[in-house]
Amino acid sequence: MSDAAIRVDGARKVYSLPGKPKRTAVSDVSITVEAGTIHGLLGPNGAGKTTTLKMLLGLVRPTAGTFEVLGADSTKPSGRRRLGFLPEQPYFPIHLTARQAMRFYAALAGVDAATAAEQTTSLLARVGLADAERTELSKFSRGMLQRLGIAQALLGTPAVVILDEPASGLDPVGQRDVRNIMLELRAEGVTVLLSSHQLSEVEAVCDRVTILNRGTVAAEGDINQLLNVDGRTSVRATGMDVLPPGVASVSDDLVVSGSTWIFSVPTEATRTVVDAIDEAGGTIVAITPKRESLEDYFAALLASGSEEVAS
Amino acid sequence: MIQRVWPIAVAVMADSLRRKVVYVVLVFAALLVVAIPVLPDYGLGVQSAVFREVALALAYATGLVIALSLAANRIPSELEKRTVYNVLSKGVSRWEYLVGTWLGILGVMAGAIAAFTIVEMVVGYFTHGEVMWLLWEGALATWLEMGVISAFAVAVSSVAGPVVVVAASLAAIFIGHSRSALLGGEGALAFEPFVPSLDAFNVVNPVAHGSGVPFIYLVSMVVVFVGLVGVCLSIGVFLLGRRDL
Repeated sequence: MSDAAIRVDGARKVYSLPGKPKRTAVSDVSITVEAGTIHGLLGPNGAGKTTTLKMLLGLVRPTAGTFEVLGADSTKPSGRRRLGFLPEQPYFPIHLTARQAMRFYAALAGVDAATAAEQTTSLLARVGLADAERTELSKFSRGMLQRLGIAQALLGTPAVVILDEPASGLDPVGQRDVRNIMLELRAEGVTVLLSSHQLSEVEAVCDRVTILNRGTVAAEGDINQLLNVDGRTSVRATGMDVLPPGVASVSDDLVVSGSTWIFSVPTEATRTVVDAIDEAGGTIVAITPKRESLEDYFAALLASGSEEVAS
Repeated sequence: MIQRVWPIAVAVMADSLRRKVVYVVLVFAALLVVAIPVLPDYGLGVQSAVFREVALALAYATGLVIALSLAANRIPSELEKRTVYNVLSKGVSRWEYLVGTWLGILGVMAGAIAAFTIVEMVVGYFTHGEVMWLLWEGALATWLEMGVISAFAVAVSSVAGPVVVVAASLAAIFIGHSRSALLGGEGALAFEPFVPSLDAFNVVNPVAHGSGVPFIYLVSMVVVFVGLVGVCLSIGVFLLGRRDL
């Protein structure tokens, strides 16, 4: 197991304004992100994701908890010097060109002028803005601003990158590009903390996820462990008009697409099912552990949380 | 530290120079300077004194409008638009952000007041045939006072919107120039040390009447400037530091 790049322990945030009742945005959140991994932070609106990130970045004063990035207290400016951050729907001074904005943020990140020029060119190309580097940001589309936000987060070659809804405002090609960038960053050893509503994005790139609900951690773990359904195996077969009786009796979640049969069976029955399909003249296309979609897992988790609260 | 303060100050200056309000106010004030000789009080024998007095008043008003238009909205706008997130997440301290913003405004003020003073000198030369170097003493005093006012405005703007900032700044100017009038009788004079005065920056009389102020007075003005700005920015840093963004 590698060292933790991000460690949030016992985070709590209670907003109290004079004359108004106290509001707890985050009750108790602890997150550990291992170095060199992509960690997803999920949750419905109001779950406390953004507040947790803001506490980690020193933008919101925590009521309690400790926040570390690479072993340093990230609520202090010195603890954020090796960190890149993409805010949700980033805004920039619109009178600047993309290149000027990058140079400005590079200066703030302590990048020297020569390196800043080099990184500006390469990062703008990496996010697909090479042709727009001299365009004023007031002329940028929502998606272009999002790409610029990602580029500025990578200035100074940070060891940890926090991305809040990076695919927001991007078209499908842009979303694919962002996924590739995250995977490239992981390959380079960079730690990525990804907060996203796009479950497919999280499922595609994250090694581990933390799911927040009502200001607490509802689930945390390896994404495969969370989504694999214990004791069930998914089977995909073709070349049959009907399922053999021995298969039909144990199969579940049956879907027929053209000549392909997709269903799940108890794992201990897999050998029997394969033999039955062979004898019926069918062909096995794939056998994999049955995996729930993140959407289904997420919905079930939130539903069970609601029931617990209701009861 | 300066590595992070300076880019913020430069960004504020660059952004401010793109705002039309700075140029509109300057041009309007310059036109008024040209019109000074047609004032009804422009009596024989005191023309140049009246010119300098009115020119200093115009410089003050111009500086005040520019200072408040830049300082009142800068931080509230950045907090509202969340452009500040990109800045602070780079390891920039809140105090560096606040001081950088103020320095940027101070830089714009320096340029604007210098430009305006040059216009005053040119107009003064052609209407009175004299080079009015003393106007630079007035310009320095105006710039220093606007530096204090913009520091106050920046401090208030870290927790309040533009309307409150402008109202609070105008109130501070009124109080700062009315200490003796406000405190009045001897009993209230005990409060004097608690009421900061901006009167140190009032050099209208010596400049208008041609005597000027001694060099040591100019130095003392700078000392007062540093003290008041230090207090204002310290309060601003404290307020911004406690704020959830």
